[in-house]
Amino acid sequence: MNTLLLALLCPLAQEAAPGVPWNARTVEHLYNRAGFGASPEEIARALEGTPEALVDALLAGFAEDERTFPYEVIHRPVLEDFPNQHDYFDACAERRRRERLVMADYAAWWVEAMVASHDPLREKMVVFWHNHLVSSAADVKSYVAMIRQNELFRREALGSFRRLLHAIVSDPAMMVYLDNDQNMVGNPNENLAREIMELFALGIGNYTEQDIKEGARALTGWKTDDIATEPHLLPKLHDTGEKTILGRKGNFDAGDLVDILLDQPACPRFIAFKLLRYLEGVEPEAARLAEYADFLKASDFEIAPFLRKLFLDPRFYREEIVGHRIAGPVEFVVGSARRLGASFPPKLLWLAAAHTGQRLFEPPNVKGWEEGEAWIRTSSLLGRGNVAGILLGITPPSEVIEEVRSDGLSLMDDSKVSGYVPEISMTALAQRLGARGEGELVDGLAEQLLAVPLSAASRTVLVEFLAGERGRLGLEEAKLLGAGEKTEDLLRRLAHLILSLPEAQLN
Amino acid sequence: MDARIDRRTALAGLGALSGLSLFHSRAHAAVRFRITPRLDGAARTLILFQLSGGNDGIETVVPYEEDAYYRARATLTRKKDELLKLDDYRGLHPALKNLRTAWDAGRLAIVEGIGYPRPNRSHFESLDIWHTADPRGRAAGLGWIGKLCEAAWPAERNPNLVVHIGPNVPYSLHSQHHRPASFVDPEGYRWIGGERGAAAFRKVGEGAAAMEERTSTLEFLRRVVAASQTSSDEIRRAVAAYETDVAYPDEVLAQTLHHVAALVKGGIGARVISVELGGFDTHADQRERHDELMTILDGALGPFLADLGRSEAGKAAVVLVFSEFGRRVAENGAIGTDHGVAGPMFVLGHDIKGGLHGKHPTFETLDDGDLIHTTDFRSVYAGVIEGCFAVPHQKVLGAEYPIVKVV
Repeated sequence: MNTLLLALLCPLAQEAAPGVPWNARTVEHLYNRAGFGASPEEIARALEGTPEALVDALLAGFAEDERTFPYEVIHRPVLEDFPNQHDYFDACAERRRRERLVMADYAAWWVEAMVASHDPLREKMVVFWHNHLVSSAADVKSYVAMIRQNELFRREALGSFRRLLHAIVSDPAMMVYLDNDQNMVGNPNENLAREIMELFALGIGNYTEQDIKEGARALTGWKTDDIATEPHLLPKLHDTGEKTILGRKGNFDAGDLVDILLDQPACPRFIAFKLLRYLEGVEPEAARLAEYADFLKASDFEIAPFLRKLFLDPRFYREEIVGHRIAGPVEFVVGSARRLGASFPPKLLWLAAAHTGQRLFEPPNVKGWEEGEAWIRTSSLLGRGNVAGILLGITPPSEVIEEVRSDGLSLMDDSKVSGYVPEISMTALAQRLGARGEGELVDGLAEQLLAVPLSAASRTVLVEFLAGERGRLGLEEAKLLGAGEKTEDLLRRLAHLILSLPEAQLN
Repeated sequence: MDARIDRRTALAGLGALSGLSLFHSRAHAAVRFRITPRLDGAARTLILFQLSGGNDGIETVVPYEEDAYYRARATLTRKKDELLKLDDYRGLHPALKNLRTAWDAGRLAIVEGIGYPRPNRSHFESLDIWHTADPRGRAAGLGWIGKLCEAAWPAERNPNLVVHIGPNVPYSLHSQHHRPASFVDPEGYRWIGGERGAAAFRKVGEGAAAMEERTSTLEFLRRVVAASQTSSDEIRRAVAAYETDVAYPDEVLAQTLHHVAALVKGGIGARVISVELGGFDTHADQRERHDELMTILDGALGPFLADLGRSEAGKAAVVLVFSEFGRRVAENGAIGTDHGVAGPMFVLGHDIKGGLHGKHPTFETLDDGDLIHTTDFRSVYAGVIEGCFAVPHQKVLGAEYPIVKVV
């Protein structure tokens, strides 16, 4: 964020709520964590109000009305309808292709919503739930079911974890992903029972192998339809015998199991831990975790009050937290798009995030993506730089992203992706910043494009680069912004370097 | 849970690299880092091969004389004459033809009954135990390869000492001073931004490599910036320079092993290379899925072993194939199997002690429906650590284990 601009926009910042430091840096921090970054205007507006006002606005969302994604439900072909078997196979293949297209369109629609940030906190939390109650389109193979699961996350993103956990045990995508549609009386399948205890509700060490076996029996009897959208319980396949789960005895069904899990003291602790780690970027210490777990329990797993408490907690703004969290690939791509302030094809952004390690709707396994430093590998770091190069028009998408090159799925019939030309003017941006000279230009662009301050070491490299390139072009420093295409090309290459910096990985 | 086998091969189209820029990069890298010189021809490279999801060992090395096996699995069992018999008790899965050939040549060791005390049936917890060689899992600190590096190459800072090929770097490689390099597609493994931009990007990482202790997340990132450039220069050079007359299938795993062969021979100083094949969590409709996985596995390992035989470095390489657990003896109601305990490990290579190791677990006494392990996986690690790298295994594993001498 640009302090020069800020000084113009908001000469007087309002007094902060007790304890919450309220300045450009902390406002940006809140926007980074509760969304995908802030514009200078958003920061200025926030500083005119109170922390409570911004937090409540983030919880309510800025959208006038809810966006919806209309899509077609494509039913599975029925063999009897096809006199020729080959036609049947063709119809199946065509369905798979069209479903993949729907999935890609939906993923792009979601990324677009993140960039637009009409409801940034909701989008941020949908990503969280997608990575907590994990299913993958690669295994579910019904993209309609994956979309419906995502719609569940959208509804409950800031709602109730109690309702979410109840809904997920009969969610068709989850049912297929963890084989619970194959879990029946006399022949239990433990997959969902294990993961709901280990990964969704309690965490390891808070149940026994016997609890998993008994829990699996409670989950028996569920089926879904051909497109994995209509869940239903078949009483004949459900185990009606007595089960003993976590010390309680009864003829439990799926709903009872969920209530038993929610009653465990481990449950609010587990969810509070994951929420704090996601939003603060570090693991909470014991006392802080206990405080937030108790609060979550007391508010019956309602998420909005939990987030409100956290965002108005002065410790959320402590030095070790602000600017020290490693952005995930989606955050990096969406954040970069927002900071560049131009319009980008959403499908390109979706593929860019996938290229750097986070393919929405296809987490690597039921534990989801590993966050924090695990996002940063030698390859993903180079990949992030290359993705920034694409956004700036320095590198064609096909040179970096394999799918654009081969386009085996015909996802890119949309030439906006394969023949992408950025609608971007770094020159105009630099002029708006009012920067004069190389140092100011570097500082201004870095403030605009980074979520954290530029380090002295990186600044030296950037200023040297800019000076060297200016020299090659034979431009005077004062006329740096006046050389038309040459200026634009140079500023884009500078911006590319900025978005490749270690600093660009943080938020 | 892993989609890799469903995905199109992403690793095609090698060889389009510009030789000029590569040579330039190589010279640059050599100045800035002490690249481990190729030791002598016998320097070992360890290749870790993870079968993720819990491979069904019983359907991999089938105990075809075991009545209890046929009783427990009504639909999954194999007919005896389908199997590739190893002796009068065991037969390999019918798809493992290349492994059967390797067995005859003494290039395949099967270590039976592998597991560890107090088995954990969670994928993630069990993998953590395998990756750290410690029942505490991640709480124990570094991955076992990280500890091996501390013991065997404490001062080495070559960013390619440990390399993972694929999207998900395993915790076994977790390390403070020997962080692994990783890539998916060698061709795309570079920063694209013009010569002078690249030079500036290189400067961003400078100074970071010498730092021993991390001081902040920013410095951690700066070190990765430095490592990524050296690593990508060297790896692309090695892959581009590699020539082989061995034909690999056009499939992700096989192409990955092709790159491994290039790195083993390429003199980049890699001592440990890690790869993964996912999809083994066969709770439902196991037969088709497992058959496909075995076909992919054998189709990739066959040419890879042949290729390794073409160089001294390749002949000294050792492949360690493992999975986080075996599967339950009885099949479930979905023609699949749930998480179990003991299973076999494979060790492959031209200079190993082939044949049977460990002890086959009994079907007579089960632990809650699971095979009881006879051999601790750390005994195999110990054999590899001492046999490959001449380091006392206690220094890496933190305790003494009976050594399974596979190398």
